[in-house]
Amino acid sequence: MRRLQSFGTKLLLLFVLVVAAAQFATYFVVSRDNLDNARALIEQDLVSAAHVFQQVVDDRNTILATGAGAAVADSAVKQLFVRTADPATIASALGSIRIRTGGADLVTLLDLKAEPVASTLADPVSGHVLKKLVNDADGDPSPDPHATGYGYIGGQLYSFVTVPVRAPDIIDWLVVGFRIDNRFAERLKEWTRIEVTFADRQGRILATTLSPDVAGALSAALPGLHARTGTLSLAGESSLVTTRVLPAGEDLSATLVLQYSLDEKLRPARDLERLLLLVACGSLVLAGLLSSAFARRLSRPVEALAAHTKVIAGGDYAARIELHRNDELGRLADAFNQMGAGLAERDRVRDLLDKNVSPEVAAQLMRDGAALGGEEREVTVLFADLRNFTALSEGRPPREVLTLLNRYLDRMSAEIERHGGVIDKFIGDAIMALFGAPVARGDDADRALAAALAMQAALARLNREFAAEGRPPLAVGIGINTARVVAGNMGSARRLNYSVIGDGVNVAARLQALTRSPEYRAGILVSAATLSAARGTFRTRPLGEVVLKGRAEPVAIAALEATAALL
Amino acid sequence: MAMLRRLSVFRPLLFGLATASVLDAAGTVQVVMKDVKGQPVADAVASLTRLDAPGPAPAAPDQPVAIVQQNEEFRPYVTPLVAGTRVIFPNEDKIQHHVFSLSPAKQFDIPLYSGTPKESVVFDQPGIVTLGCNIHDWMKAYVVVLATPYYAKAGDDGKAAIGGLPAGRYHLEVWHPLLAVNVDRDIVIGERDDSTQVISLTLKPDRRIRRAPDAPGGGYK
Repeated sequence: MRRLQSFGTKLLLLFVLVVAAAQFATYFVVSRDNLDNARALIEQDLVSAAHVFQQVVDDRNTILATGAGAAVADSAVKQLFVRTADPATIASALGSIRIRTGGADLVTLLDLKAEPVASTLADPVSGHVLKKLVNDADGDPSPDPHATGYGYIGGQLYSFVTVPVRAPDIIDWLVVGFRIDNRFAERLKEWTRIEVTFADRQGRILATTLSPDVAGALSAALPGLHARTGTLSLAGESSLVTTRVLPAGEDLSATLVLQYSLDEKLRPARDLERLLLLVACGSLVLAGLLSSAFARRLSRPVEALAAHTKVIAGGDYAARIELHRNDELGRLADAFNQMGAGLAERDRVRDLLDKNVSPEVAAQLMRDGAALGGEEREVTVLFADLRNFTALSEGRPPREVLTLLNRYLDRMSAEIERHGGVIDKFIGDAIMALFGAPVARGDDADRALAAALAMQAALARLNREFAAEGRPPLAVGIGINTARVVAGNMGSARRLNYSVIGDGVNVAARLQALTRSPEYRAGILVSAATLSAARGTFRTRPLGEVVLKGRAEPVAIAALEATAALL
Repeated sequence: MAMLRRLSVFRPLLFGLATASVLDAAGTVQVVMKDVKGQPVADAVASLTRLDAPGPAPAAPDQPVAIVQQNEEFRPYVTPLVAGTRVIFPNEDKIQHHVFSLSPAKQFDIPLYSGTPKESVVFDQPGIVTLGCNIHDWMKAYVVVLATPYYAKAGDDGKAAIGGLPAGRYHLEVWHPLLAVNVDRDIVIGERDDSTQVISLTLKPDRRIRRAPDAPGGGYK
């Protein structure tokens, strides 16, 4: 199923279908057109052949009539017809006249009442046929009266023409005829290239140019043919047929059948069609191959891009995709690479941001889009300062100093962060931390106090390490205050720092400075505000109130001391 | 027979009386012959046969009647005459002609000749005789042999005047070469009558053979 749903397969199918449709439509149109053309051409030929037949019969009749007419202008012949009552003599004279006509198959003499007097054929011709013929001729008003017709003699079909016997007025009529036989049919075929058949009403063949089996098929099909033209299947070939009725007596007639094989006419066209079919199949195969190749050229890069997307989604922003193409897919690949670069850049910034600010601040920055402005909230601020920095830095190279400083700062920061605090900033060797901003947890004061104690313990551990390294120990002074302050991104539009500002911040800083004062002997000084905000129990040593610089009201402070467990 | 013997006694008297009656009371009939379209029919022959007292057979004229061949045609086309008339056939053409007739009323044959042949033909039987020339198929003429002296041939105006008719009943017959339907009727002529008979003739189409053209033939037909 997946194979079928593939884009490549769909493209292949579409292409192949379109080509197939076009090719086979062409084939069928051409095939149909050929058939229609062949039919039309044959029909034209058949119609013109019918005309030729009429013309040929007329011409032949005229030739025979002229010959007979000349023959009976003979004075002796005229006298014979008038004087002798002896039919035998007349019949023999007619035989001579028949030769003079140059090809008539029969000559019959009739009187003015159209009664037969004598004939060259022993078979009696149907009197009615000849009577009608002579009457028609007699009724012809032209100076050259004549009539023509067809008739059967002994089962064979004849064409008749009348010839007046003048002396000098018409005294008798001759009827001269020729047989419509195979030879006649052959002559017609010679001139028209059409197959000619004469048949009687029952379909019996009288004369034909066809081979016996085809003639037999035609004979069987004729009685069923009611229209003037039609298509018949004769001996396996389809033929177009047109018929003409030749009246041959009162209720007798003959049928002229002109026929041409449709298959014969179509033969050259069919060859072309076969070629067309071959071309169609060939182009179909070619289309299939081409579109298959093209589809692959399309779906492979798309699959590659899909795979690349998964890689990027997996976090590998450095991955690049190379398609080596100049088209839309190439541009898509470039766009993907740019996207990857963009993501990587963003990732790097995030990383840097994470390194520069605590993750929570970074998250808030990302969330709020580093906008300026803040909020007022209750925050516990913690300041920590390294007491004897000079001891650390004296006589050491700057890089070593920095390493040691960072080591100290790292330990301190770890404790702050472990207790849910946010490093606001490092000021040289001092640390400013916030508890309760940007996220308040409810127990921020407790956590700040715990963090301070943890920092002292961590420093003790660091000092032990230092001692082992032969370095002097460090000491830290911490000041903590809880107050309502303004928290937010402070700075210019391009350079921000998430921090807090307010009186409470100064108090915490002052308390940290006070830790140096020998009268208090405290490592951690906390304000009463922090202590009251804290819920837990801490060991504290109240130190009364103190007036801090820049603040009118005195602040109650206490020293925070570690419990035995913390030491 | 007995009646005739008795009559012969009074023959001179009778003859005189007859002549007197003819001279005294001779009617004429103007027979006007038209075709169905009203056009005058030339060459029609009208004849009157007496019904009461059929007289003796009309006497043939002493001089022979001539039917000439002129410019490869017979002239005249129709020649009415009484039975017993002698006819000669002078050939006025530079070429020879062969005159013949196969009509039952008179069959004869005058082989090729120039000028006036020695043979002449006496048309003794009443009837229609058709003349032809054996070498010129289009040459045709008619001789109308009659048993009555009272006849006339219509001219181009279609009028035939028969005069000198004694009063009495007559049988009028009209003949024309192309007559399709026989026309005959009985009429009565009074003394000094001058009547007109208008006859309408139904004619067949003229199927005369085309004369050979002087110029060469017309090519393939």
